[in-house]
Amino acid sequence: MLDVLGHKAFLGLHNMGRFARFIWDAITASLYSISNPSTYSLIWTQMHIIGVRSVPVVMITGAFVGMTLAVQAYDQLAGMGLEEHLGVLINVSVVKELGPVLAAIMLAGRVGGALTAELGTMKVTEQIEAVKSMGTDPVKYLVAPRVLACLLLTPFLIIFADLMGIMGGYFVSVIQFDINARAYWEFSASGVELWDVSIGVIKGFFFGCAIAAISCYKGFTCKEGAHGVGEACTEAFVASFISILALDFILAIMAKTIYSMFWPLKSLV
Amino acid sequence: MSNGNGDNQGVVTKDDGVVVLKNVVKKFGENVVLKDVSLAIEKGKTTVIIGPSGCGKTVLLKHLILLLRPTVGEVYFKGERIDEFNEHDLDKIRTNYGFLFQGGALFDSLSVAENVLFPVRQHYKITSKSGIDELVRTKLAMVGLDGFQNYYPGNLSGGQRKRVALARAIALNPEVILYDEPTTGLDPIRADIINELILKMQRGLGLTSVVVTHDMTSAYKIADRIIMLHEGKIYADGDAEHIRNHPNQIVQQFINGRVSDDDLEVLRMSGTISRSEFEPLDLEE
Ligand SMILES: Nc1ncnc2c1ncn2[C@@H]1O[C@H](COP(=O)(O)OP(=O)(O)OP(=O)(O)O)[C@@H](O)[C@H]1O
Ligand SMILES: [Mg+2]
Repeated sequence: MLDVLGHKAFLGLHNMGRFARFIWDAITASLYSISNPSTYSLIWTQMHIIGVRSVPVVMITGAFVGMTLAVQAYDQLAGMGLEEHLGVLINVSVVKELGPVLAAIMLAGRVGGALTAELGTMKVTEQIEAVKSMGTDPVKYLVAPRVLACLLLTPFLIIFADLMGIMGGYFVSVIQFDINARAYWEFSASGVELWDVSIGVIKGFFFGCAIAAISCYKGFTCKEGAHGVGEACTEAFVASFISILALDFILAIMAKTIYSMFWPLKSLV
Repeated sequence: MSNGNGDNQGVVTKDDGVVVLKNVVKKFGENVVLKDVSLAIEKGKTTVIIGPSGCGKTVLLKHLILLLRPTVGEVYFKGERIDEFNEHDLDKIRTNYGFLFQGGALFDSLSVAENVLFPVRQHYKITSKSGIDELVRTKLAMVGLDGFQNYYPGNLSGGQRKRVALARAIALNPEVILYDEPTTGLDPIRADIINELILKMQRGLGLTSVVVTHDMTSAYKIADRIIMLHEGKIYADGDAEHIRNHPNQIVQQFINGRVSDDDLEVLRMSGTISRSEFEPLDLEE
């Protein structure tokens, strides 16, 4: 029993080590890519695949988040006669928390799944070994462009989700619940700070990185056969999902600390 | 030195060939695939590796280019020990090689022309469009596939894929080419054209080739030296004539494609297979 646990723990540590190693390789390869304009076309292709086609799903996600928040929050605020404050509540939640997290989860499914399946298939059909056999580093050729594309695009996609969330919230509050549009926007504008939006967008960098790195790693370490690829995709999604939530938590704490340290200075400026 | 069968059994040293394996052992978990293999691949010669399916031929070939690292043992390229190199340094060494994968391993998201160009794009700055078109055309013509430039691997037959993979393996004019079953899945005429191609590259350009094959016709035709791998060891080693007249029974059975009596016994033991055994009687009403 202890033996089995010990072995499991050892394997777990071993995998962590391999993942850390992979992340390190991915970072150095990405830095190399950035400094090397001849690789930009690879990044560009990935950005097209990853980014452009994700816009609609991410926008739909954002819109529903905004609308649902409005429906849920209206009754509570209306009960206290504060329905005109609805805008602050919706928009802060959307830009700071729900927009980034839900958009990232959507991307983990859409983009992460595709990345793992693609690289996993390349692994089992020896295409990754073929890249190596021709003297090219597969991490440079395959992983770096994907990580960079995800890292650069996720913040933009989050902005799209935010915009749609704001519109969704507005639509339900003003058109459905008849809240005065002017009051709605005024309260929103005074309640949502640039800080809130920036936090949401900065989260995007981290989420994008995590999704790409985890999905590529799972593809690269995929086991034999169709079953292996399927399993890798599932594991990649679960791992991305959990790390998005965990990162969100950590970033929220860090943001709060930084905010309380530096924001008071604003009044001095 | 000799093992009594006239096989080359000398102790290899690092300068005996372009690529040298010294006392290589490879284990996958508990599974020992190579047990102490020493082998020097001579420059400008064609070495053919034969052996039963699953005996570790592909594993051996991948050690020559360090796509797999030995569990124990040493690998040398031109006298330099490379099995301790990191991946970055190995990438430089690997540009001296061409590797034809058993399954082709073409990039299925790239067209045939882009597949052939892949190694060129990775290592050279391409300046002239007509130059690269010409390069792709020559390489594809060598394997009889000029005109297929814009096809994707998914739309090719198994044999055609293998030939595109061969064109890609020779795109950089490497010094050492490792072929994993180049003629499997090709019709006899096409297979012979590939044999001629291997011979031509060896004689004309002085390339070193290592060919894994099950095809004895091809082996006799192209080999300067034939090695039989069996149970993780080099079982026989010599020129075509030597292998053809090899005294060992297992070698003879393999090259003549005969099953041993023991294997036949297993088939006999299983009794006659009558049709009725396969009919789903139990399912009928
Ligand atoms: N990556 C790997 N992980 C684990 N085991 C492996 C791996 N690659 C090969 N093996 C094992 O090594 C043994 C030899 O495989 P190999 O592919 O070299 O056979 P082969 O001689 O090329 O056979 P064939 O003629 O059918 O291609 C097999 O038992 C296989 O299970
Ligand atoms: Mg094989």
